[in-house]
Amino acid sequence: MSLKQKVLVLGIGNDILSDDGIGPRIVQQLEKEFVPSLFTFQTATVGGLEILEMISGYNEVIFIDAIKTRGGVPGTIYQLTPENFSETLHLTNLHDINFLNALKLGNTLQMELPEKVRILAIEIVEDLEFSEEFSPEIRKKYPAILEEVRSCLRQLA
Amino acid sequence: MKQITIDPITRLEGHGKIEIFLKDDGGVENVYFQVPELRGFEQFCVGRPVEELSQIVTKICGVCPGCHHMASGKAADAVYGVEPPPTAKKLRELFYMAHFVHSHIAHFYALAAPDFVVGPTADPALRNIIGVIEKVGIPIGSEVIKQRRIAQEIQALLGGHQTHVVMNIPGGVRKGLTTEQRDDIVKKAEGFVEFSKFSIKLFKDVVLGNEAYVDIILNGPYALKIHSMGLVDENNHVNFYDGKVRVVDTEGKEICKYGPTEYLNYIAEHVEPWSYLKFPYIKSKGWTGFVEGQDSGVYHATPLGRLNAADGMATPIAQEEYEFMYKTLGGKPVHNTLAMHWARLIELIYSAERSLELAKDPEITGKELRAPLDKVPSEGVGIVEAQRGTLTHHYWTDEKGIVTKVNIIVGTTNNNAPICMSIKKAAEGLIKKDTEITEGILNMIEMAFRAYDPCFSCATHSLPGQMRMELVVKDKEGKTIRKVKRS
Repeated sequence: MSLKQKVLVLGIGNDILSDDGIGPRIVQQLEKEFVPSLFTFQTATVGGLEILEMISGYNEVIFIDAIKTRGGVPGTIYQLTPENFSETLHLTNLHDINFLNALKLGNTLQMELPEKVRILAIEIVEDLEFSEEFSPEIRKKYPAILEEVRSCLRQLA
Repeated sequence: MKQITIDPITRLEGHGKIEIFLKDDGGVENVYFQVPELRGFEQFCVGRPVEELSQIVTKICGVCPGCHHMASGKAADAVYGVEPPPTAKKLRELFYMAHFVHSHIAHFYALAAPDFVVGPTADPALRNIIGVIEKVGIPIGSEVIKQRRIAQEIQALLGGHQTHVVMNIPGGVRKGLTTEQRDDIVKKAEGFVEFSKFSIKLFKDVVLGNEAYVDIILNGPYALKIHSMGLVDENNHVNFYDGKVRVVDTEGKEICKYGPTEYLNYIAEHVEPWSYLKFPYIKSKGWTGFVEGQDSGVYHATPLGRLNAADGMATPIAQEEYEFMYKTLGGKPVHNTLAMHWARLIELIYSAERSLELAKDPEITGKELRAPLDKVPSEGVGIVEAQRGTLTHHYWTDEKGIVTKVNIIVGTTNNNAPICMSIKKAAEGLIKKDTEITEGILNMIEMAFRAYDPCFSCATHSLPGQMRMELVVKDKEGKTIRKVKRS
C-alpha cells in the first residue's frame, strides 16, 4: 500500500518531560494494536520544517500533541484542524516556522501534502518538570484518553 | 471529544517574554527579557550510567540535539579518561558539520531572510519564509528544503537517527562508514558547498546591495561592544567540535584561552531575581552589570563572537569570506549585532567545506571505532560549539560510572546578558518620545533578539516548539499599551 493510501499518526512531545510525552506514549501503544496496512505511527519532538518533511506523501495525517489552555480540564481532547487553532505545544517552533506557515510553504513549493490534517490536542497539567511519569491527574485519566484516541482511529479504519 | 475553535490558545507561562517599560516622556525606562524554567534535568540524570546521558541529553532540546550529543559524548570520554581513535573523531565531526549545515540553513532562510528579503517593517503576514520564496523564486525555496533534508539524512546515517542520536559511546562511536556511503556523502557535501556559496551571494546581493539595510546594520541601534568567545583549533581557527575556548576583548586582544577542564577558572554565572536563566561572565573581569566596554565582564558566544575570537577559518572559501567581511566592516573585532547573520553564513560555508574534507579523508572509512576503556571513571568535561554558543557538559560519576552530579552551560545561556542588552539598546534607539509604536518597530526590536538565534529550550531546560515570544510595552504604571505575539 502506498503512503498516499495510508494515514500517518504522529505523536509529538518529549517522553521524559512529564505529561508532555503523552502524544508519543499513545502512538507507541496504538502501534501495537492496529494493523500496519492502514496506519503509519511515528513520533517527533518538534514542529516546523521537520514536520513538513515527515507528513509529505501521505493523504491524511493525525497529530497527537499536548496542549494547555486557560482553565482547560486535564484530559480533555480537542479535535482541531489547521484552520482553527493557534498552537499546540509542539506544532510551533521558535527556531523554525509555525505549523500553518509550514503547510503554506509546502503548498507554495508544490510538495505532496496530506489533503486531510487533523490535530488531537490533549489538555495536560505538567510540562515543566523532567520525569518519565505523568502528573497524577493525567495518570488517572490516561486509560480514558487512550480509549478516546483509539476509538477515533477505529472509526477511520 | 470536543470539536471547538480555539484562538488564541493561551499558554502564558510557557512564553518567552520581552517587557519594555516606558518613562513618562515615552522613552524607554527598562527592558526585561524572560523565559520559562524547566525543572529537574540534573536530578533526572543522577543515578544513571554516564554512557546513557549522550542519548538522554538529545531530549533536552529538539533544536540542537546533535550539539548536546557531541558535548555529552566528549564529557563521557573524559569521565573514562579515554581519547577516541582518529576515525571515530572524524565521524563525529562529519555528523556535526551536517548538523550545522541544516541548522544554519534553517535560521538564515526561515528567520533572518524575512527581515531583509521581505523587509523589516513589511506586513507580518508576508514577512516569513513564504514571503522570501515569493521574492527569490520557488526553485530556490525547493533547494532550501532539499539541502536541509540532505543534511538531516547524513545525520541520520551517521547518528542512527537525526534527532534521537545514538552515535557516541565512551571512547568512540557505534558504527563506521562504508566506502559506498562515503562516496554518497562526498556528492552531498559538494552540494552543500555550492548551496552555501549561493546563500552568501544572495546575502551580498540582497542585503549589502541595499544601502538602507547596510545603514541599519552599521548605524542602527544594534551594536554592542562586548568581548567575544569561541572554540579554536591549534592555529586559532574556528572549530566547532574540538579545541580550546578563546575569549578576546572588545579590541580583539586575547583575554584567556582554556581547555574544557579549566572552564570554572574563567567563567562564572551571575543570578538576577527576575530571570530563571543565569548570566555567565568572565571571571577575571567580574560581574559588572549589563554594561558594554573593555572593563565589562559580558561576552557573547555567537557566530560573530566565534569569528571575532579566532584568527581565521580553516577552509579556503570560508577564509576568503571571513577576510571580506572584516574588510567591509572596518576590521576586527566587529560589534554590529546584525552582522551575526553574515558570520553565520560564513560558518555555513565552513561547515560545508569541512564536510567535504572529512568525507574525502581516507581515515573516515577506518575500522578502529573505539578506544578501550581501562581507567576508573570519575569526572569529565566536554565542550563543543553549538550553533547558539559554546556548550559545556560537566559530569561526575562514582567508580562504576554512575552519574552523581551534572552541570551544563548551554550555548544561549552565554548570550543571556548580551541578548538583554541588545534588546534594550534597540528599544532605546527605536522608541523615543512621541514614537508611534508600530508592529514594524516592535519587529525591529525583535531583530536584535533574533540575530542571536536563541534557543531557550535547553537554556532553561525548556522545550523548543512550545515557547512563543511575547513582546509587551508598558507605561510607567505598568499598564500594557502594546502587545505583539509571535509563534
